[in-house]
Amino acid sequence: MADKAILYDATKCTACRGCQVACKQWNENDEVIPVIENGVLAKNWGSYENPPDLSPTTWLKMRFTEVEAGGKVRWLFTRQACMHCTDAGCVRVCPTGSLYHHELGFVAYDKDTCSGCGYCVEACPFNVPRLEHNVLTGIAKMDKCTLCTTPGLDRIAEGWEPACVKTCPTGALKYGDHTELVTEGNKQVQALRANGHSNAYLYGDKELGRLHVMYVLDDSPAVYGLPVAPRISAATIAWQDVIQPLGWALGGLTIIGLGINYLVAREAKLTRELPGKKEE
Amino acid sequence: MEQEVERYRKPTRILHWVHAGAFVILFLTGLVLFIPQLGFLAEDSWTRVFHRIASVIFIVAPLIYIPLNWKATLRGIKNAFSWGGADIGWLKAAPRYYFLADEKGMPPQEHMNTGQKMWWSMVIVFGLIFVITGLIMWAFKTVAPAALLQWMVLIHDVAFIATGCMLFVHIYLSVAHPLMRPLRTGAWNSMARGKVSVEYAKSHHSKWYDEVSKSVEEKS
Ligand code: SF4
Ligand code: SF4
Repeated sequence: MADKAILYDATKCTACRGCQVACKQWNENDEVIPVIENGVLAKNWGSYENPPDLSPTTWLKMRFTEVEAGGKVRWLFTRQACMHCTDAGCVRVCPTGSLYHHELGFVAYDKDTCSGCGYCVEACPFNVPRLEHNVLTGIAKMDKCTLCTTPGLDRIAEGWEPACVKTCPTGALKYGDHTELVTEGNKQVQALRANGHSNAYLYGDKELGRLHVMYVLDDSPAVYGLPVAPRISAATIAWQDVIQPLGWALGGLTIIGLGINYLVAREAKLTRELPGKKEE
Repeated sequence: MEQEVERYRKPTRILHWVHAGAFVILFLTGLVLFIPQLGFLAEDSWTRVFHRIASVIFIVAPLIYIPLNWKATLRGIKNAFSWGGADIGWLKAAPRYYFLADEKGMPPQEHMNTGQKMWWSMVIVFGLIFVITGLIMWAFKTVAPAALLQWMVLIHDVAFIATGCMLFVHIYLSVAHPLMRPLRTGAWNSMARGKVSVEYAKSHHSKWYDEVSKSVEEKS
């Protein structure tokens, strides 16, 4: 089946955070709001961005970036959520197969089988997965955006758009065919460039084998605080592509070697003891 | 009854078996993350709980042993890292010995032969590596920089592969190798009951046997 994707156009986004709320609501991720006597304890940390970070119950969040350039302050908005990479670090390292590629290309997740090792947290170039864990016992579970394919809450299987896309009032979020969205994104970038945004960029087309969540940006990714040229870390590659296969080979050879040794040595011992003819 | 010599004192044997038990649990609960087909066994973190309990035993057991047996500890560590010409001879003779049951080329060995020293020094070195990398992961999961944690996993994995393979060899050579049977004569007996027959001591560890028989008065 042809891959599907989400296209987010930062230039159409008003940062209303409707997607953030819809995500929580659909996926039953209630936020725990600390309450004081007469209302909600709001914490001002100097930004409209709230909550301050992703969490096991916050899979999508709008990021607000303030940049000053040429005496002008710009207020930039981006999504912060799983990018559903084609070459996904998290899938590479997950030892239980809990993270896997959905038939439509994005990275689905089966929470039931997660071991809580947190390897995906460390391998994700976008710092997306969040681990809820007990420091003493090590009992843990990871959570992240599943592109609305969580079992029991699977919108995609129903043929619906993801909750965030469905709710977006400005059309900044689109869900559709991956290739079509790349074309559309590129068109939008061309238009932006023609309009004087010479650094306009379609983020995700070239990154990590093509992301299944792409951003139309009117400036370079660095300005938006996005990783420029994200990569699978050296440790992930050394570990998954070198050490692990080497380990399987060494372990296998050791066992085979010992088996051969047993047969040969038993033979040798028997011949040597032939007169006595008694083994063990 | 056969004459016997003491090879491992009781505290040493207890440490060996406690550590062995902890290591096997650590090995198996680590193995489930190493072999993808076994991954499902790690679901819901319960293997990690056992891994951590076993790791505490793995760390605490030697910490109790060392101050109570510091002389033996020092001797053991010194033995592990003193290598010489006899070791080269052993390595040369080992294939013929272990495959063809031919003892002729074997130079006389000390308390530990070269193979045992190899395993024993690996236990010390990789044991420390396991503990250091493991404690970092335990204490700083999600807190330390991702790259650091990833390298800790990788080093832990290297130690796992090296000691895991050698664990098979160790168990095999102690109890399953045709030359090690019947069990009551040699290696098995030395760790199970602490004693080996004089016969075995003379043929397998003659340098050590000479030493013990010389200083037989101040024994134990
Ligand atoms: S953004 Fe991170 S969690 Fe999402 S697919 Fe890519 S590597 Fe995995
Ligand atoms: S924390 Fe869960 S999902 Fe992430 S790598 Fe480990 S088993 Fe896989």
